[in-house]
Amino acid sequence: MGTKSTVFACLLLALPLAGCGTANRQRDVAAVAERFHAALEAGDGQAACAELSEETASKLEQQEKKPCEEAILAVELPKGGTVGATEVYERSAYAALAEGGTDFLDEGPDGWTVSAAGCRPTAPEQPYECELEG
Amino acid sequence: MRRVLRDNGLSIVFLLLFLGALCGQAVAGHADYNDQAAQHGDPDISMARYVVSSDFGVDVMENWQSEYLQFTLMILSTVWLLQRGSPESKSLDQAGRESDEQQRVGPYAQQNSPRWAKASGIKRRIYENSLVLVMGTFWLGTWFAQSVTGRIEYNSTRLDHQMVPIGWWQYVGTPDFWDKTLQNWQSEFLAVGSMTILAVYLRQRGSPESKPVGAPHGSTGIEG
Repeated sequence: MGTKSTVFACLLLALPLAGCGTANRQRDVAAVAERFHAALEAGDGQAACAELSEETASKLEQQEKKPCEEAILAVELPKGGTVGATEVYERSAYAALAEGGTDFLDEGPDGWTVSAAGCRPTAPEQPYECELEG
Repeated sequence: MRRVLRDNGLSIVFLLLFLGALCGQAVAGHADYNDQAAQHGDPDISMARYVVSSDFGVDVMENWQSEYLQFTLMILSTVWLLQRGSPESKSLDQAGRESDEQQRVGPYAQQNSPRWAKASGIKRRIYENSLVLVMGTFWLGTWFAQSVTGRIEYNSTRLDHQMVPIGWWQYVGTPDFWDKTLQNWQSEFLAVGSMTILAVYLRQRGSPESKPVGAPHGSTGIEG
């Protein structure tokens, strides 16, 4: 195969591979959000807190003056549900639950964690209001 | 080899300067990114991760697009626009695309003229405008790349503040996009304008960017 053909083939291959990378990350985000809400539905505060970012878990403990696994179960958050839409940009993402409510996630060295949950829109072009945030 | 270096010194030196500056930008940009991450309590990222990030991408593309715009406009405008006394301008009686004889195309092409200069029809039309076509394509391509990488960076920041992302059409109407675009354009237009006027009155002996040292201020379209 000539040089030009090789380069063109590599470029064509790169496009779907780049798309695969994004799709994988969206699936990871959705999986974390669904695990978080499934843990809440099961009443498993420890499992739910394991999906939170350190900052968010720490802030929750400071505000409620209880361990995270106790405090998280008292927060008004959707229990269970499936993710209807996700978008990922660099190390930030959101996951919108099909049943309502949106989570915001950050990617760290150990993967995705929930930084804000139970979020709903307020006014256009304004931050969402969240039941739980870091 | 020595001859290759001598005959191509200008492009070789600028290629090396470009690569050096790009590497330097990567180092400084990576350090700055991690500084800001630390301020937000976010973990550091590696250099390998940074150079494929949209933060680095938009910083590179916003500069490239303005450079190619500068050349596109310079090439096009100097066909018709004149500046008395400037070596950047053609002579005052030469405005326009000039005759085929002056441009040595078609029947006026010489034996060693480029092949498409000797051609007729669409091939010659393309070649006659190939410089602005390529520069213009690079400009639009890098400007589009700026919009894509800029949108990713912008949406990442929005998500950090619990705001949902916006689409491409919406992004290219944002102050963020136009701030990045125009801050680069103004510097390019300033550079061209400055060079055009300064070269009327100032000289650099031996440079084709300057008139000969002894050339009058009013002489137009001559090189040193």
